[in-house]
Amino acid sequence: MAPTPAELARSLVRKHGSGRECIIRILTDVNHELGYIPSEAIGVIADATGVSDAEVYGVISFYSFLSTKPRGRHIVRLCSTISCKMSGAGDVLAAVMDELGIGVGETTPDGRVTLETTSCLGLCDQSPAMLVNDAPHTHLTPDSARGIVAGLE
Amino acid sequence: MPNISVTINGTSRSVREGVTILEACQIAGVEIPTLCYHPDLSLAGNCRMCLVEVEGWKTLAIACVTPVTPNMVIHTHSKKVRHARRTVLKLLLASHNVNCPECERNTNCELQALAEKHNITINEYQTSPKPVSFEEFSPGVMRDNSRCILCTRCVRTCEELQSVAVIKPIGRSSAVRISTFMDRGLNEVACTQCGQCINRCPTGALFETSEVRQVWEALEDPDKFVVCQTAPAVRVGIAEALGLPTDRSTGQMVAAIRGLGFDRVLDTDFTADLTIIEEGYELIGRLQKALLEGDASVKLPMMTSCSPGWIKFIEHKYPELLPNLSSCKSPQQMFGALAKTYLAKKEGVDPSKVVCVSIMPCTAKKFEKDRPEMNSSGYRDVDYVLTTRELASMIQEAGIDFRHIGEEKYDRWMGASTGAAVIFGATGGVMEAALRTAYEVVTGKEIPFNGLNVMPVRGMTGIKEAAVTMPEKMAHGYEFLAGATLKVAVAHGLANAKALMDRVAAGEADYHFIEIMACPGGCLGGGGQPIPTSPEIRLKRAEAIYQEDSALHYRKSHANPEVQLLYAEFLEKPLGHHSHELLHTHYTRRD
Amino acid sequence: MAEEKRILLGEDQPQPGAALTKALKMSPADVVFEVRESAIQGRGGAGFPVGIKWNLAGAASGANKMVLCNADEGEPGTFKDRVLIERFAWKLLEGMTIAGYGIGSHEGIIYLRAEYPYLIPVLQSAIRDMKEKNLLGSRILGTEFHFEIEVRSGAGAYVCGEETSLIESLEGKRGEPRNKPPFPVNSGYLGRPTIVNNVETFAAVPHIILGGAEWFQGLGAGKHAGTKLFSVSGDVGKPGVYELPMGSTIGELLELAEARDVQAVQVGGASGSTITPAEFGRTLAFGDLPPGGSVMVFGAGRNMLEVLESFMEFFVHESCGQCTPCREGNRRLLDVVESIAAGKVAGGAELKPFFQLAEIMRLGSKCGLGQTSSNCFVDIMNKFVQLPGGKEGV
Repeated sequence: MAPTPAELARSLVRKHGSGRECIIRILTDVNHELGYIPSEAIGVIADATGVSDAEVYGVISFYSFLSTKPRGRHIVRLCSTISCKMSGAGDVLAAVMDELGIGVGETTPDGRVTLETTSCLGLCDQSPAMLVNDAPHTHLTPDSARGIVAGLE
Repeated sequence: MPNISVTINGTSRSVREGVTILEACQIAGVEIPTLCYHPDLSLAGNCRMCLVEVEGWKTLAIACVTPVTPNMVIHTHSKKVRHARRTVLKLLLASHNVNCPECERNTNCELQALAEKHNITINEYQTSPKPVSFEEFSPGVMRDNSRCILCTRCVRTCEELQSVAVIKPIGRSSAVRISTFMDRGLNEVACTQCGQCINRCPTGALFETSEVRQVWEALEDPDKFVVCQTAPAVRVGIAEALGLPTDRSTGQMVAAIRGLGFDRVLDTDFTADLTIIEEGYELIGRLQKALLEGDASVKLPMMTSCSPGWIKFIEHKYPELLPNLSSCKSPQQMFGALAKTYLAKKEGVDPSKVVCVSIMPCTAKKFEKDRPEMNSSGYRDVDYVLTTRELASMIQEAGIDFRHIGEEKYDRWMGASTGAAVIFGATGGVMEAALRTAYEVVTGKEIPFNGLNVMPVRGMTGIKEAAVTMPEKMAHGYEFLAGATLKVAVAHGLANAKALMDRVAAGEADYHFIEIMACPGGCLGGGGQPIPTSPEIRLKRAEAIYQEDSALHYRKSHANPEVQLLYAEFLEKPLGHHSHELLHTHYTRRD
Repeated sequence: MAEEKRILLGEDQPQPGAALTKALKMSPADVVFEVRESAIQGRGGAGFPVGIKWNLAGAASGANKMVLCNADEGEPGTFKDRVLIERFAWKLLEGMTIAGYGIGSHEGIIYLRAEYPYLIPVLQSAIRDMKEKNLLGSRILGTEFHFEIEVRSGAGAYVCGEETSLIESLEGKRGEPRNKPPFPVNSGYLGRPTIVNNVETFAAVPHIILGGAEWFQGLGAGKHAGTKLFSVSGDVGKPGVYELPMGSTIGELLELAEARDVQAVQVGGASGSTITPAEFGRTLAFGDLPPGGSVMVFGAGRNMLEVLESFMEFFVHESCGQCTPCREGNRRLLDVVESIAAGKVAGGAELKPFFQLAEIMRLGSKCGLGQTSSNCFVDIMNKFVQLPGGKEGV
């Protein structure tokens, strides 16, 4: 049986430590595991590290990769900065939106994929580029991008 | 640190090395505008209002943070600085909902004052006005984020001074907002309603939940018998709130309140004295049970319970220590319960027609009066709470000239005061009042401090301690305390309360009695007091309080003749049946 | 460029550990001295003299000094650090270890941007490898010196490339820059004396130790020291990472990258300078075109106003929001650029307040983000955008 968000948070506090400097590592792991950070997890982390839950919420809200709202099993991040734009990221985005049937910032109804745009991914020499979870995909075309997102379970 | 030479606007000055440019300029009599800076708080350096030019630097420097160095050449109003200042101010105004006439801080707003000082008549960065984003957060504290300039003074207050930390910057970039955990209402998170954030907000982004309209309605209803009680700290704050120098102005305050149309003007000091007697006997009773009878279920240290911000704090953070709290209600709530029973009888008035209004230096009192259990009179014991600021606005609306109004006296039955009662308004005051009475009860003698002034518990130190040793010869029935040393502690500001409670929770605090006030300075620095606040202002108010104490005829709570009458005619005895019904309460776990 | 002058990415590479072996035979003070004499300036963009930073940290009082590697490569168009880590992670680790020895630190952290998660295994593997070779961990190369390196991820915030924001992030907080003073060399991570340096800076250190300060200086063009990596992308035939002597001209780089029919070049990322072909003789060096490492090339057909809009969108998204000029200024610059793009601005006096705003952002923002974000507005409006009413206040 999968641990509750609170149990998960507690186990990650045990793993990383309860010092305040461990907060982002703990949050990142919860985020990675559940796709987002539920409020119960925030409460546990705040208690364990000795800061207020408002403080932890403030930290999460600062970083683009952390979310307090549920997201899909897969997160697709398309680069929207200039080098990728110049090599056709716009068409790639349109194709991906069409394939998934959602807009930027949205999640497919079956909870499979969340689509986001992101700042420069540092793959400018192989643009357009996107991250699917932890994996980079480069030299995208509308078709290759469609194929990648269609194959996500 | 040695002195160094710096040049400010062409003039050479000698200042201590390491002071900030802001401090050096203050010494030199040069004013630099600030917004995020506050003497009670850590340095944020985010508003950028205090930009100055330092020769040789590639960027401008912020005066509040930058230390002076030998031979530094500073310009505080060069062309570059003036343009920078005006631009920063315009940017702040452009993102601020400028609706001054409708704002609670109209004419007492730091942003407005700076705009006026810098003659900002055109704002090239103005886009469309921001909509009001008015949120009824809670009984005591309300917020309008469209006025927020993100200086974070409220955030630093809540974190550093109060260790509550329920408001924080949320989000990033121009979408940053000051908000709570999951953006919930303040009454849904562990906000203690202390209102210290309001006191330090430079604009009208934070303000108290107003009850002025309801009070006017009650006053204008011929059917109602409206009585007013005034807290100790209000009498040293009301003059400030009306633009006058800090001073005690009790007689004028009474006259002004009567002028508003209240049927009776009475004094919370009366029930402050009552609280001392009830709480004093409660403490003695606990000492007897714990020390003499060895009853482990009786908890020491006993802790005061008159500060509702403190009560909410302990209910959230240290619910396991609730048994340590005195069961006494606060003076405000004792007053309300008696106003609709004892007073109604004395005045021959139908208690259902009595409206009890309290004037408080406090915003948490608005939360306190709404607590479900505060209805022992059979009605809401206290109907409305107005802050010192709200009272000032009513006095102004009524056109009452506070400066020239004569002095009047409180009405009878619940209007008599003692010095012990009035010092409730300062940190250490409840403790001192309690000692003046409890010592005399158990020894039969006056407490051996010069002029009854128990100096060790006075002053602005965050946590104060004192020890009072009993003589060998005690009054009859109190022999068990002969030679004992009573240890007490006093804390003000919730960060200090937290430090003390951590020790109590760990079993490391061997005190018998602790006074906690949620607000720095005690009630005189309360969330409902005039704005601005600073260490100097709070010291002045404290001076006024202790002057009032020395000038009053009665200095000890048990000498209050109206309180004596109350016991003789109504309550019978301290901790008696009537007392328990009306004057004592219970608390709620909020963890 | 002659092969022998490509050190960071050249064919001829030193053995992992050779520099560390030599360094551990020197005194820590001599190691710092060598780096100082090499005149190497920070390779992340700010260009602070590295040796001076190490000197200050070494002299600072306080225990548990820290060596932090800024691998938060977020400046648009920059990918040189990614390539360095992909190909020569050991060099970064060795450089950090030498730095630790020099300043008296035993603890290093690599702050790796969240957008490079696939580099975590690369770094972990390199760390394991170095440990096996006794180049990391306790009793390094049989000496008393010990040094540990940990990899920690960011969570998606460009501003965390600023050193005090980076430290705040490592401390588990919002990545908001701190007031300075105190400076990180005196009070940084958890209040400890801390040095923060870029990946490329640490990667250069083994070369400096092995070749010596004078040799390193000689690698630069003219009075400049060492080599510099440039990530070239955009309208070029050969995008990728190039290594050139510091002080080379932009024209030389464009030639190598096979850039043709160039309208504009953005040097140093969105926060850098936008230059025209007339300026191709300018040098890539601190003091001329600050060479953070990003070089983006825009061909003749590109709409530079759209490019500007893209840059301003980036800054609005990435501003931390703490200080007034950056939080409000970037927003307003984006608003006016959008209005110009929509044809709603005739120009002239209307634009003067925005050029003034750009200046105040440069002078009054709390950190480098706000201080440089308006550069592209000034450059692109100045050099590439025509308006019927002209541009007053440029």
